[in-house]
Amino acid sequence: MRRQNQTSTNKIDIVKVVEDKLGDSVQIQLGQLGKAAIVTKNGLHRDVLQAMVDADEKTAVVAITGLDLGANLGILYHIRTSNAFITIRAEVPKDTPKIKTVTDIIPGAVFHELEVSDLFGVIFEGNELQGHFVLSEYWPEGVYPLRKDVKASEIKLNPAPAGEETQPATGKVVKIIIGPQHPALLEPEKFAVTVEGETVTKVEPRIGYVHRGIEKAAESRTYLQDVYLVERICGICNTIHACDFVECVEKILKTEVPPRAKYLRVIALELNRLHSHLLTLGHAGLEIGYETLFQYFWRDREPIMDLIELTSGNRVYSSLMTVGGVRRDLRETDIPKIKTTLVDLRKKLPFYRKVYEGEPSIRARMQNVGVLKREDALKLCVVGPVARGSGVNIDVRKDEPYEAYGEIPFKEIVYTEGDTWARMNVRMDEVEESINIIEYAIDHLPAGPFRVKAPRVVPVGEAVNRVEAPRGELFCYVRSNGTAFPERVKVRTPTYANIPAFLKTAIGENIADVPPNFVSLDPCFSCTDR
Amino acid sequence: MTPMIDFDLILRILIFPGFTFVLLLTLFCDWVERKIDARIQNRIGPMVAGPAGLFQPLADFIKLLTKEDIEPRNAKRIIFNFAPLVAFTIMVFAMCFLPIDGASVLSTTGFSGDLIVILTFSTVASFLLFLSGWASCNPYGTIGSARVLTQFLGYDIPIFMLALTPAFIAGSLSIFVIASDQTIPYILLAPWAFVLFMIAMQAELEKGPFDVPDAESEVVGGLETEYTGGKLAFLHLTRDVQVVFGAALVVELFLAGPYGPVFFGLTAFWYSLWFVLKVLVIVIVAEYITTLFARLRIDQVLRANWRVVLPAAILSLMLTVVLVTWVRPLV
Repeated sequence: MRRQNQTSTNKIDIVKVVEDKLGDSVQIQLGQLGKAAIVTKNGLHRDVLQAMVDADEKTAVVAITGLDLGANLGILYHIRTSNAFITIRAEVPKDTPKIKTVTDIIPGAVFHELEVSDLFGVIFEGNELQGHFVLSEYWPEGVYPLRKDVKASEIKLNPAPAGEETQPATGKVVKIIIGPQHPALLEPEKFAVTVEGETVTKVEPRIGYVHRGIEKAAESRTYLQDVYLVERICGICNTIHACDFVECVEKILKTEVPPRAKYLRVIALELNRLHSHLLTLGHAGLEIGYETLFQYFWRDREPIMDLIELTSGNRVYSSLMTVGGVRRDLRETDIPKIKTTLVDLRKKLPFYRKVYEGEPSIRARMQNVGVLKREDALKLCVVGPVARGSGVNIDVRKDEPYEAYGEIPFKEIVYTEGDTWARMNVRMDEVEESINIIEYAIDHLPAGPFRVKAPRVVPVGEAVNRVEAPRGELFCYVRSNGTAFPERVKVRTPTYANIPAFLKTAIGENIADVPPNFVSLDPCFSCTDR
Repeated sequence: MTPMIDFDLILRILIFPGFTFVLLLTLFCDWVERKIDARIQNRIGPMVAGPAGLFQPLADFIKLLTKEDIEPRNAKRIIFNFAPLVAFTIMVFAMCFLPIDGASVLSTTGFSGDLIVILTFSTVASFLLFLSGWASCNPYGTIGSARVLTQFLGYDIPIFMLALTPAFIAGSLSIFVIASDQTIPYILLAPWAFVLFMIAMQAELEKGPFDVPDAESEVVGGLETEYTGGKLAFLHLTRDVQVVFGAALVVELFLAGPYGPVFFGLTAFWYSLWFVLKVLVIVIVAEYITTLFARLRIDQVLRANWRVVLPAAILSLMLTVVLVTWVRPLV
C-alpha cells in the first residue's frame, strides 16, 4: 500500500474539549503561542494533556520549553493535535523545581523532559531516565546553564570521570558501542547496543557530544546575529533553521513579508530539501554496503549544490533569510539554468525509483526492517518522513501552511508499511514533489520587493513557529524582552523527536539491521545537540 | 652424492612464476579491481602513483609497512602476530600448485590429488584469518571473525562439490590434468557449475554482496579492527591473494587454465599471457557483481547457502556424474 492519502475528516475543536472538561480550573488564552495557551497550576497539565489525548489520537508533544521567570521556572508543553497547535503553561518554584512527568500519557515526551531537567534543573517525577543527557559528564552538579543566574565564565568542569569499564563478554551477550566515533555514524553520538548472538536486546542512547549551547549563545546576540547563529545548528538543512527563526521574530514584530520573498524562501527551502534528501538516499546505500548507489546519488546532488550557490552565493550555508524577507533577489538570467538542472534531475528519477523499489538486495535489506507501527509512531511523537512512512499524514506544509506553501499545489507522500524501505521511498517521492514545487514557484513568482525593513529592536512578546524541515517538523520558540537581544530561544529539531523511534524499532532485530534502520531516520546530530 | 643447486628451480620459486610474479599479479589485480569499481561508480579511481595510478596498491602496501605497529594489551600475542603472516604464506604456497606457464611452480610437486590440497590450503588460510581477528580480543574483531567462520564453513562445502565437477569430467583430481584436458573449456560443457562456482567463490572470498564480515557500518573493521602497520598490510595482501587465487582456480577449472593458442616464440610466454588475461576477466566479472548489489545480511547469506547454493551444488554433482558415466560414452 503506497501513497495512500488519508484525508483527515475529524474536525475536533481541541480547545473546546479542554474548556468543557476543565474550563473552571485552567485559564485559556486564545490566539497565544499557537491556537491557544492553557495556563495550568498544581499538576493540572497532566489532566489537560490526558483530555487532549482522549479526544484526538494525533496529539503529540512537540517540545517542552523551560523558561527562567525569576522566582519561578516556566515549563511550556507544546502540543500538536491533528488540526491545532496548543501550548500548556505550567510553573514551578525555583527552590523546589518538581513537576509530574507526562511520559506515562505520551511516551514520546521522555527526551524532551530529560533536556529540560539537564538545562534547567527541573525534576520530572516519574520519568525513569535520569542523569545527563545533553550536557557532558564533566558538568558540575547543580549548575543549570540556561538559568539566567549562571555565568559561563564561572562554570568549572569536573575532572574526567572514570572511563566505562569494558566488561568481558559473558556467554552470548556482547555490548557493542556504536559511537561516538563509528563508521556508521557521520557525527558523534553514542549508542550502546547489547547484542545476544546477532540480536539486539537493548539500546542505550547518549547524546550531547556536539552540544554547542546555541540556545544560550542566542541570548547574548542580537536578533540579526541570531539568524546566522541559528542557521549553523545544522550543516545540511541550514536554510530551514534560519527560516523558522525569522518567521518567529516576524510573528512578534507582526511584520508581513512581501509575496515575492515568500516565493523566494520556498525556492531556497525546497532546494535545501532536495539536496538533503539526495544525501540521505545515497547515504543509506553506503550503510547497506551499496557503494555504487551512494556514488550515483551524490553525483546528482552536486548540481543542486551548484544551484544553491547560484541563487544565494554560498554553496552550503545559503544565508538567504533575514527578518522581513530574503537578502538576495533571484536573477532573471539564472532561471533557465535552474530549470534545466531540475529537468535533468527529473529525468534520472525513474531509474532511481526503480532501484529503490525493485532492486532485490535493497528490498532484502530494507523491507520489514525497523517496522514502526502507526500506533507507535503516534505515541512516540515522531515527525517528518518517519511519521509519513508509518501512515501518519503530518506535514507542516499542508497542516499549517507557511510562506507560499498554501498557494502551491503538491502531494503529501504517505506510505503505510512503516519500515525502512517505506521511509526511504517517502523521500524518493518527495524529491519529485520538491522539483515540482520549485518549478511552480519560479513560474508563479510574484513581482515586487523581496524584503521589507524590519526594526532591530523587538517588542516584548513571545511566539512559536513550526516549519517542515527535510527531516520533519522543526519547532522554534522565541521570547523577547523588548531589547535587541532575545530573552529565550528554543529550537526543537526533528531528529531529537525521531530518536525514540529508533530505540523502539531496533530491539529484537539483527545487529546488521541497525545501520539501515538508523539511517532511515535521516539522523542529524548537530541538529540534535544544538 | 652432493646435492646440486638447481638455479632454475630457485628462479621458478622466487621470480617466475613463483613469489614475485604472484605478488605483482596480486597488486595488478587490485589496481584493476579499484579502477573497475571506480568507473562503474562514476569515479576516476587511483590516478596519481604511476601511470594511471598503476602503483597505487604497492604504494598503499609500503605506506602501511611504515606505520606504527600497535599490539592491544588483551590480545593473544602469538596468534595475533603470526596469523596474518602465516595466512599470507599459505596462500602464496597454494598458488604454487597452479599451472601458470604450462607447468606449476615446482614441476615435481604436482600429484594426483593436489586439487583437494589447495582447496584445503585456502580453508586453512581463511581459518587463520578468523584466528587473527579472534586473537585481537576486540568486540568488533570478535564478531567480524565469527562471521568469517560461519560464512566460509558454510560455503566451503559447495565449493568442494563444485570443484569436483571438472574433476569428474577430466577423470582426475590433479589440477594439471584438469587444465590440460580442456580442449573444449569446461565452461561450455558445464556452464551451470561455472555460474554456481562463481557465486560460491564470491561468498568464500567475502566479496559483495556477501561481504558481511567486513561490513564497516556494522562491525567497523571486522577482524582487522585492531590491526595496524605491517600486520594490517599482510592481512590486506592475504585478502588480495585470496581473490587472485579464487580467480585463478576458476580459470584452471573452467577456462582451460593457461592453455590457449601459441602463435610464435616461447610457449611459456603465451601460456602466462593467456593465464593473466583469463584471471583478469574473472576478476572483472567478480568486481562487477560486487558493485551491483547491496550487502546481504549474515542470515540471508547463510540461508542462500543452505537453501540454494548447496542443494544446487549437489544437483550439479549428480548431473555431472550421470552425464560423464552414461551420456559421454554414447557421444
